[in-house]
Amino acid sequence: MIQLLSDTRYLMIRALRETARQPALEIGNVFIPFFFFAVTVGAIGHVAGRAFAVDNYTAFQLPVAVLQAIAGASGTAGFGTVTDIERGYFDKLLLTPTNRFSLVLGRLASDGVRTMALTLLIVVVGLIFGSGMKSGPFGVIVLVIMGGAFGLSYSGIGMALALKTGSAQAAQLGFLVFFPLVFLSPAFAPKEVFAPWLRTLATINPVTYIVQGMRDLVLSGWDIGSLVGAFASIAGLGIFTMTLVLLALRSRTA
Amino acid sequence: MPAIAAEALAKHFTPEIRAVDGISLSIDEGTIFGFLGANGSGKTTTVRMLTTLMRPTGGHAEVLGFDVVRSPGEVRKRIGVALQEAGLDDIQTGREMLTLQSRLNHLRAADIPDRVNHLLHVVDLDDSADRRVKTYSGGMRRRLDLAAALVHRPKVVFLDEPTTGLDPISRDAIWRYVADLNKNDGVTFFLTTQYLEEADRLAGDVAIMDAGRIVAQGSPSDLKASIGTDVVSLQIEGGADELARAEQAVRRLGGIEDVRIIDDAVIVYVREGSSAIAKLVLLLDEASLRAREVTLKRPTLDDVFLQKTGHHLEAEESASRPPAKPDRGAES
Repeated sequence: MIQLLSDTRYLMIRALRETARQPALEIGNVFIPFFFFAVTVGAIGHVAGRAFAVDNYTAFQLPVAVLQAIAGASGTAGFGTVTDIERGYFDKLLLTPTNRFSLVLGRLASDGVRTMALTLLIVVVGLIFGSGMKSGPFGVIVLVIMGGAFGLSYSGIGMALALKTGSAQAAQLGFLVFFPLVFLSPAFAPKEVFAPWLRTLATINPVTYIVQGMRDLVLSGWDIGSLVGAFASIAGLGIFTMTLVLLALRSRTA
Repeated sequence: MPAIAAEALAKHFTPEIRAVDGISLSIDEGTIFGFLGANGSGKTTTVRMLTTLMRPTGGHAEVLGFDVVRSPGEVRKRIGVALQEAGLDDIQTGREMLTLQSRLNHLRAADIPDRVNHLLHVVDLDDSADRRVKTYSGGMRRRLDLAAALVHRPKVVFLDEPTTGLDPISRDAIWRYVADLNKNDGVTFFLTTQYLEEADRLAGDVAIMDAGRIVAQGSPSDLKASIGTDVVSLQIEGGADELARAEQAVRRLGGIEDVRIIDDAVIVYVREGSSAIAKLVLLLDEASLRAREVTLKRPTLDDVFLQKTGHHLEAEESASRPPAKPDRGAES
């Protein structure tokens, strides 16, 4: 177990070094969520706030920007793995006596760190533009941890696709999964105003609870039930995506 | 105990596509084994099975006594591998890559800097150690790949076509490292190649692979001796008809072991080749045929390859080689 964690740490550092040396790849992950955040709040903020009885629509939208950034960043997890496979470097890693799960866990952990950094950046920008943070500085820490955990879990989709197909195009499909998940959640409006069928779908959508958990930290303060729901959803998503990763890893190394 | 042993090892992707079709090997510790074959003959698939990267569909194999399917982890601890395409991480520096490789091979943290420096020195990359790998030339990449395969002092090293595409100087450097490691440290090398010169120069034993099967195995000198004859090549003027007639004509000479038509030549395996040449030319003349060129040589590994597989390896080899650099005389 110690060896697994130790090898995972070395591989995480390598993946983070790769990110630091290719900063251009992160531009889209930063620009796109900020663009949609600014446009959404600017275009419908006043109307939506009144219509949905939301005092601070900037704060209401902040979790959506966070999730969007995480989904974008997580898409590149698969891309990095595909590059390793294409270069033959993945074979070199497979030939070491290290636990094979650490080969994927290292990159996923680096995605967790990257998405924590992105979450923090978005929260800081949100604070500058008046989102506030009802749960205070400790709430920022919890929100950043939640962002990292979601990033790690969500990266598993792109990672599994990368391992299964070895294709960069397929690996990026992981990002597309984000759109139905986010639009079938109370990302842009409270669930209470949804049509009944949409409300049903939102209820079984794990992203609903993650959005709600993040939103409560920003907008309402501490709500333990909401936090448990968010972390449980992330854990459920993580178990699902890690299962996919393990199956894909097994098929690649068979 | 052999360093590498395989019994009826096979990889069938489909019933029709048999990349490796039941090969058996026994390679002693401390030797260099040359695995010779053309592209697509099954060399790389064999390496991938022996190094645990691919699961065989038949037979079994052991490396240093560990089964490659049942104990892949134990095998990986003891082998070093440099695959055909140098699998490197372009974003890291050479030093970072070797350091990570050392950590993943679970070397003691305190020993890693010295080990990395030593290997960088051995493969002449001291001055480039802190440059990113993407700036390395083809020869430097191969040398780094070899160093990465050696970080954990493996007993057995698999090199899959380690010099393909390299210029003569880089190729010579790789050969020197391999020979030194084998001589000084007793490392066993399993070397796949399509270069006959490489196998002839380095390997104590070679196996010739063709269409997924081993068609000949032994020391280069034994294999050459197994032909037991001289080789006379008669390049015949004319087309296929003339070649066929020439083959018929030369078969009338006594003492001939074998006759084959290869490209535009009739290859005659005959004892006492020097005295046979005049008789062969005479036989051609009687058949109203002319030889454009006649050559006599002692058997080479290429002749062994030709006899066993029915085709040359050298022609394929030269097609895949980069053009040789002009020498100084040519430049001036």
